[in-house]
Amino acid sequence: MLTRLAGGRVIDPDNRRDAVGDVFIRDGRIVHAPAGGTADETYDVSNKIVMAGAIDIHSHIAGNNETMGRLLRPEQRYPSGVFHPGHHPQPLGTWNTFETGCIYALMGFTTVVEPAVLPHQALQAHLELADIPIIDKATLTVLGNDDFLLNLLRRREGAGAIRDYVAWTLATSHGLGIKVINAGGAAAFKDNLRAFSLDDEVPEYGVTSRAIVRSLQQAVHELRLPHPLHVHCNNLGLPGNVETAMATIEAAEGLPLHLAHLQFYGYGKEGPRGFSSGGARLAAAVNAAKSVTVDVGQVMFGQTVTISCDVLRQFNARNSARPKKWIICDGDSNGAGIVPYDYRATDFFNAVQWAVGLELFLLTNDPWRVFFTTDHPNGAPFTAYPDILALLMDRNLRAEWMSRLPKEALDVTTLASIAREYTLNDIAIMTRAAPAKLLGLADRGHLGIGALADIAVYEPRRDKAKMFREAALVFKGGQLVVRDGAVLRHPFGQALRTQPEHDRTIDARMRDYYQERYGLSPDFMTVAETAIGRPEPFETVPCLN
Amino acid sequence: MAEAWIRGKSVPLEAAVAEAASLIAASRLPVITGLGTDIAGSRAAIRLAQHVGGVIDHMHSEALLRNLDVMREACMMTTTPTEAHVRADFLLLVGPGLIEAWPALPTTLFRERRTVWLCPEKAAKTANEHRNIGVVGDDPADLPVMVAILRARCAGRPVAKTPIAIETLDALVVELKKSRFGVAVWSAAQLDGLTIEMLCGLVNDLNESTRFSSLPLAAPDNAYAVQQVAAWMTGFPVRTGFCRGIPEHDPWRFEASRLIDSGEADCAIWISAYGTRSPTWKRDVPLVALTGSPDLLKADVAITVGRPGIDHDAVDYLSATATLAAVSAHKPSTAMSAAGVLGKIAAALPAARPC
Repeated sequence: MLTRLAGGRVIDPDNRRDAVGDVFIRDGRIVHAPAGGTADETYDVSNKIVMAGAIDIHSHIAGNNETMGRLLRPEQRYPSGVFHPGHHPQPLGTWNTFETGCIYALMGFTTVVEPAVLPHQALQAHLELADIPIIDKATLTVLGNDDFLLNLLRRREGAGAIRDYVAWTLATSHGLGIKVINAGGAAAFKDNLRAFSLDDEVPEYGVTSRAIVRSLQQAVHELRLPHPLHVHCNNLGLPGNVETAMATIEAAEGLPLHLAHLQFYGYGKEGPRGFSSGGARLAAAVNAAKSVTVDVGQVMFGQTVTISCDVLRQFNARNSARPKKWIICDGDSNGAGIVPYDYRATDFFNAVQWAVGLELFLLTNDPWRVFFTTDHPNGAPFTAYPDILALLMDRNLRAEWMSRLPKEALDVTTLASIAREYTLNDIAIMTRAAPAKLLGLADRGHLGIGALADIAVYEPRRDKAKMFREAALVFKGGQLVVRDGAVLRHPFGQALRTQPEHDRTIDARMRDYYQERYGLSPDFMTVAETAIGRPEPFETVPCLN
Repeated sequence: MAEAWIRGKSVPLEAAVAEAASLIAASRLPVITGLGTDIAGSRAAIRLAQHVGGVIDHMHSEALLRNLDVMREACMMTTTPTEAHVRADFLLLVGPGLIEAWPALPTTLFRERRTVWLCPEKAAKTANEHRNIGVVGDDPADLPVMVAILRARCAGRPVAKTPIAIETLDALVVELKKSRFGVAVWSAAQLDGLTIEMLCGLVNDLNESTRFSSLPLAAPDNAYAVQQVAAWMTGFPVRTGFCRGIPEHDPWRFEASRLIDSGEADCAIWISAYGTRSPTWKRDVPLVALTGSPDLLKADVAITVGRPGIDHDAVDYLSATATLAAVSAHKPSTAMSAAGVLGKIAAALPAARPC
């Protein structure tokens, strides 16, 4: 069947297209306009905006830690969600897998990456992802606090062994890429260190955080994984940590490196309260380091739950929990810290955090290297995206927000001086074209011939937040799933993974290691495709040539 | 093939499924409980509850919720059995029921580290069986006060009256403080909530100067895994109802036995695929029993289901790693899984109520 989206403004930066025209869909893919033929069905999208489905590169939507968050905060709600007419007067927004998929789809998102899956817990993460409807998913597998890697480094076994281990871990956990979270910090915390920075050594292993990041960055690069090493730096949230982020950017040394939720590292120590924005400096550093990509991790005001494998940071933050309850888990490699938090517009520190995020968005000059995230749910739930997009596109709206914030907070930032407004083309790059490129998803993030027909159609409105909150139409793989802000059906997508080639002798070595260390076979951590409970749960993304 | 009975009479599976569906369809509030089942069975049970506006509860909810209530009202520091195995230099075993909760506990964790067992059930016998373990306290009833004393002494506070010599407890406090990575182990089936909260507070306090964590042992019948599935699918733990078309959690309102004994619920679906347990409610309600053993044949509908990980492949909670893991069938059989039977029952029901 041939479907035609007729007469919309098609914004497709990957194909340098921003013009009124048609998009044709057949068998779930974008196809050429038929020569003289007519479509079987036509959607009139004149005066509407047509983009590829959006891609979120960093959102904690599944896995043991996320579910511990649900259990810790059963009262937590998304501020929007699926309307249950006859049962409840407004969308309920219960924090579960079903609502997660539906709300993403309502906003026009069709692919989302869960960025922190510990190898031993990968099966649960994939089971949860499989219960999230509509969108496709992917995971990043977390290494860098695991005894095996730290031992490889201590023994200086060389790049080949690390590559094989990384590939083996990806194969068992079905990840799309590799993430490192406070490299060495969780291991150091088990030895009672309470602070850990880039050049600190992990006790007993004698390996620095820098060396861990460097070795993983190199392994990911040499394995030709499409997504560069995804780094959660040391010293998250601390005053003065802009120095750590700058040092980490410098440590990239020209190789691809992705720094996650940079806002949480954008803090100086200036000002009367010893806490200030380092956003402008950090943005300049990002602009200069062409091999580095970043996502922002914007903070928005309201109640949320912070969920992180950075156990050390979460332990140190536990006494600031709002409300006062938390979970800290020392895991086998990284672990988990779950700390509820209420970002308040009246709070000096929270207001600075909000401004730092916007500074990073607005002072970085390449939307192909700066990605749109709230580090859901850490800076804010992903349901805040439409409001952030509106803030980026409208300086008057920003001024209005700033007028409600503590002046002393804004005084230690540069936000008030920034006039830039994002265009729709910038938004399409940042949320579609660039993420697809960063993740190596050749058939996503654009509307060229052969692309997957993941398409979002928006009604242009003065209220940009409303425009992005309720897509007019969303197609997933060519199937209409959202119409006028309502979910029509709930197909289940796939999880995207890579399977790099590697030397299989690592299999026996890992078997021996698990037997010796834990008295167990590593089979417990293998994600069996048959265990997921859905047909064809995975799609394999090719490695780079 | 599943074996099936209607009121004690052997019938083909299809007849039993049809009878179960008609009992559920005729019910105003069905309760799906027991929930001793694998991930697939949990998913199917929750979907069925959503479909019919029912309630989900687990046979071990009391223990599950005891730990959960401490966590969601206060704080908890935990670690994994594997990390405890490789790192712990001190083990504080708290109260009875630990080996029952995790039979592999002695072989996994009792070796090569200083271990103290606080108030085991039979102190002399325990001391005799595990000679390298120090036993402190001999009456589990003393636990609440013992844990409170330890916490007070750790904080340097005086205590008035102690069930055992204060010197013994102070010596234990010294041990706790000098451990480099200590782990407290308990089974919530045997402790009250306030004791667990006090213990978690003690662990937190110890982290002011050293590292200490804890290992709450999971309740049986895959309870922990079922709780995880409930949380991700509904946003809530077990004791969640869909009576109003939306998931709502209330530990009192959605307790299965209370709902049945009070007459609020008028149909029960009991799932015990691991095979050993029967319902504990008193009142007679239409009962659909899905079990791994033929002990409920007299139920209105009884269907034997395969044992997860024995008769069929499954995903279960693994005590050794505290993770969900795929388990291959040890003795594959043709027995149908609980998920398969629940799916058939759901398919035989009228379309879902309009939402």
